[in-house]
Amino acid sequence: MTPEKTVPTDMVFEPKIIGFLCNWCSYAGADKAGTAQSLYPSNVNIIRVMCSGRIDPQFVMKAFEQGADGVIILACHPGDCHYKEGNYRAVQRYRLLLRMLEPFGIEKERCRFDFVSAGEGDKFVKVITEMVAAVRALGPLKIPA
Amino acid sequence: MKIGVYFCKCGTNISDKIDPGKIRETLVQQYPGIHFSTMDFMCSEEGKEAIEKDIGENNVERVVIAACSPRDHEATFMRVLSKAGLNPYLMQMVNIREQIAWVTADPDRAVEKAGRYLRSAVNRVQLHDPLEKKEIEICPDVLVIGAGPAGLKTALTIAGSGRKVVLVEKSPVIGGMPVRYEELFPNMECGPCMLEPLMGDILHGEYAENIELLTMAEVTGVVGSYGNFVAKISQRPRFVDMHTCIGCAECIEPCPVSAKNTFNYNLNERRAISFPFAGALPGAPFIDEKLCISLQGGECRKCQESCPVEGAIIFDDREKVFERNIGAILIAVGSDLYDCTKIPNLGYGRFGNVYTSNEFERIMASNGPTDGEIRTTAGSAPTSVAIVHCVGSLDPKHKEYCSGICCQYAFKFNHIIEKKLPGTNISHFYKELAIPGKEDFSLYNHARSNPHATFIRYGDIQDLSVAGDEAGMVIEYLDIHGKSGKVAADIIVLCPAVVPAEESGKLGAVLETALDRFGFFEELHGRLDSAQSKIKGVFLAGTCQSPMDIQKSMNQGMAAAGYILSGLVAGRKLEIQPVNAEVDEERCSGCRVCVAVCPYKAISFDSEKKVAIVNDVLCQGCGTCVAACPAAAIKGNHFTNAEILAEIKEVLR
Repeated sequence: MTPEKTVPTDMVFEPKIIGFLCNWCSYAGADKAGTAQSLYPSNVNIIRVMCSGRIDPQFVMKAFEQGADGVIILACHPGDCHYKEGNYRAVQRYRLLLRMLEPFGIEKERCRFDFVSAGEGDKFVKVITEMVAAVRALGPLKIPA
Repeated sequence: MKIGVYFCKCGTNISDKIDPGKIRETLVQQYPGIHFSTMDFMCSEEGKEAIEKDIGENNVERVVIAACSPRDHEATFMRVLSKAGLNPYLMQMVNIREQIAWVTADPDRAVEKAGRYLRSAVNRVQLHDPLEKKEIEICPDVLVIGAGPAGLKTALTIAGSGRKVVLVEKSPVIGGMPVRYEELFPNMECGPCMLEPLMGDILHGEYAENIELLTMAEVTGVVGSYGNFVAKISQRPRFVDMHTCIGCAECIEPCPVSAKNTFNYNLNERRAISFPFAGALPGAPFIDEKLCISLQGGECRKCQESCPVEGAIIFDDREKVFERNIGAILIAVGSDLYDCTKIPNLGYGRFGNVYTSNEFERIMASNGPTDGEIRTTAGSAPTSVAIVHCVGSLDPKHKEYCSGICCQYAFKFNHIIEKKLPGTNISHFYKELAIPGKEDFSLYNHARSNPHATFIRYGDIQDLSVAGDEAGMVIEYLDIHGKSGKVAADIIVLCPAVVPAEESGKLGAVLETALDRFGFFEELHGRLDSAQSKIKGVFLAGTCQSPMDIQKSMNQGMAAAGYILSGLVAGRKLEIQPVNAEVDEERCSGCRVCVAVCPYKAISFDSEKKVAIVNDVLCQGCGTCVAACPAAAIKGNHFTNAEILAEIKEVLR
């Protein structure tokens, strides 16, 4: 599945991705994948926040500015938020974010939002794997000066 | 700043994939001053002692733990820091087991990723603030709103612990709905008999002096938060002194005014001074101000003249307003029944012999309008009764939910009708049958084995149509199989959907407690926390939260009591966790975006200072306001912008 098996490692683009995960659902979902020892690419660097509602759009912009090729935001499913409605705020902000990315020439595929529950270790692995593949296909992010 | 990095090998769970030696190398390269230590099982007693000792011996000021998920052992290691004399928040935990060692195929990549994570944690932990838990004084007393089964049980339980309970009831009588029912499902227990011991304890029991019962009262305002609420309660005048009155009822007969008795759903008459029904508690009558000649300015003192006790009847009684300090609030205001006139084909309101279940309960009650005799409006015993289940329930055009209790009381009706009037034909019209629980099948089986009972399943309530006159009605129906038919019915009993009480909306606004899409009080979590509302310190019990039976209502009340008794303890301060939001008043422009986004109503606006204020007791530390503040005037403790940005920066280096 990982391309390094067919292509020499130094020729494969390894994207740097930041993942913002809420503590209660998505981070627990990532732990679940861990407990199941499901393998996935190591490109996503997880930053834990208590609630996806804490994710300030400036964190995402900063991440891109400082070299991230992609950012993924994972939140509790609608209705499951530990803090009642933080995930709805996260969705609203994500929609605004997408509109902010375009003028910077950042493809919207570089910023993904998804819902991962504490039980969805498999979904977490799937989402991460897809994200890495999608950003790898886009190549390194070049923000025009 | 001396930073200690503690690397747990977790047996070989971590070290098989991530070589601690390589991690040490990469860290020391960037942070030459760090202190790096490797252990086998850090969460073991030996491991924890070793870290504690190591922190002391090496004068470590900040700690990075590289081990399992913080969801497993963050609290464990925070306690180790405390024991070592360090503030527990001066620690950052890095999840190199669940999120690296166990999920990364290639050890080189695992080491690389762990290196990034650890550098990032070292960068972040330097910015950590030592956070202290705050403590506030609390009031352990409780306000219970609603004196039905749930409210009574909770009030007694809490009063039994020596706390004060203010029990507020809007009607002149306590006991809620079931006290008006002659017999209860599933075991045909007598309603008043079941509740009287509870009510007796409330009024005269061992802990009665801890309970302040305010009947004919309602909560009109609440300020403050969990641990320290102040409630404003206004009480309508009863015009009878409950403490002086001996409940002899001598005053009732002489009263010259007669009007419909609302407590019996207008099925009989009552006087201007009356008891809601025989045996109603508290055992003192009340005067209906609108009916009383004297209170309407006329000349009449008949009740007072007939009263054997001096001062029991007080015509100059006035509305009273009370303010009470409490630490927690229980809402147990019950529910209503769906308005059956919204389904006009069922004839309710058009035919005198079509009753709602509550009306029929009163008809069957020995202290009800007919002394328990089932009679048609013409005064004869019915030869046929139709019971319509699911009236407005399980119906997208009315209420989508199943009300859960109707089938059981419908089969109770079947049982009582058969007992009182053997041989009566009983038709059950139902959409679905719901009879869960270990006791509830018995009444159902009894109804099924009644040779005079028939069961007709319909698909849509519109497929039933009531015609006829007061002498006899006919239900024309189309059943679920498309078969049509007719059934005669002298009396029709409707089992309407359980709906939120009218006052729920008003009370919800007073308490700022959310209602769900049906208008019931919304619970914090449907399964984990259905006895808590979304406002901390405001608890829920009984049918104001969802349709439910007496057993569930009582249990929910007891669950609320458990929360209150363990959460608010007299003499113990309330601990406030420090991972919360803090407003920088200098930077706050007063835009109030934070007030709108806070899911806990923890932020208010100080109109004098023109700044937002976070209530530490209510704030849960989600950080939604922090992300929303356009002026970056709110700091999310332990997840500050600086801390998160430091993490991002280093992990991308």
